[in-house]
Amino acid sequence: MKLVIDENRCKGCNLCTQVCPYRIFRPGRRPNRKGVIVPELDRPERCTNCRLQGLYGRTLCGICQLTCPDQAIGWVRERPYEPLTMEVEY
Amino acid sequence: MSFDDWLRTDRLPHIWCSGCSNGTILNCTLAAVDAEGWDPDRTVFVSGIGCSSRAPGYIATDSLHTTHGRALAFATGVKLADPSLNVVVFTGDGDLAAIGGNHFIHACRRNIDLTVVCMNNLIYGMTGGQGSPTTPLGALSTTSPYGSSEPAFDLVALAVAAGANHVARWTAYHVREVQKAIQTGLRTPGLSFIEVRAGCPTNYGRKNRLREVTDMAEHFRTRSMVKAKFDRLVAEGRPIPPDTIVVGEFVRRALPAMGVAP
Repeated sequence: MKLVIDENRCKGCNLCTQVCPYRIFRPGRRPNRKGVIVPELDRPERCTNCRLQGLYGRTLCGICQLTCPDQAIGWVRERPYEPLTMEVEY
Repeated sequence: MSFDDWLRTDRLPHIWCSGCSNGTILNCTLAAVDAEGWDPDRTVFVSGIGCSSRAPGYIATDSLHTTHGRALAFATGVKLADPSLNVVVFTGDGDLAAIGGNHFIHACRRNIDLTVVCMNNLIYGMTGGQGSPTTPLGALSTTSPYGSSEPAFDLVALAVAAGANHVARWTAYHVREVQKAIQTGLRTPGLSFIEVRAGCPTNYGRKNRLREVTDMAEHFRTRSMVKAKFDRLVAEGRPIPPDTIVVGEFVRRALPAMGVAP
């Protein structure tokens, strides 16, 4: 799973920067198309829910999703990891 | 299924200000309803007038957006007409404590099987920050520019005295606890009242040195005290800071309830 912030819904209140136990959210720097300074993600692969949701079959932490007043934080499913294959021609 | 499926995504983003806690409380309520596994077709959300009462408009179930202060009266009607429906009421402090105060105490007295979520932001947010019955003593608002001179309403004590079956208070910082309290309230037969202290950075925080949203959340985190600790400090006669928010479950009992599905 992959952590995403919906830029259409976010209003830039920065509550997520305060509640995440891993401090994944950082205050953003530049405004987006709507003029909202959306927080940016700092190494989102550390998120517990991203790593272990599939294994446990339930939402694990989810505090940022519950706290976000604008319903902007969510997880999207990723394609499974495929190791690079190489064909060697003789 | 997650609580995201209960939202009307075509209506989002909502109209609440940046950092308004109403969205958080909406998330917690939907997460609780979702964890209970309620059928969306048999669930009704009722609200009155105010910022908080915009909430049912963003939920993809049947909802009633009723007159000012009368959300509990309408919800009583819904519940008594069909006791098999699950009814949740969203109100604000101006809606519940000021104009709907009488409906509130009588709903608690009748102990109807409702879950009342009060988003208490200590002010009339929608109309421009006028002082409400729950504005704390000394807080600045549009109608009390030198500090509120009246003592505030304690809604939890009111609900306990009037006879509600489950009464709890949390703040919008404590999301998991709010969700669990609402879930307990949904299971309890009879009226369950959950007061959630909500932050209003635009109208309350701007005048009371909590302008930033994170300052408001930090205020909730540092000022709240669990009820067990509060009771212990009172029993020992130790001093308690004056602006403490006592949080926790205040009462859970089994008084005879009305409108419970057979």
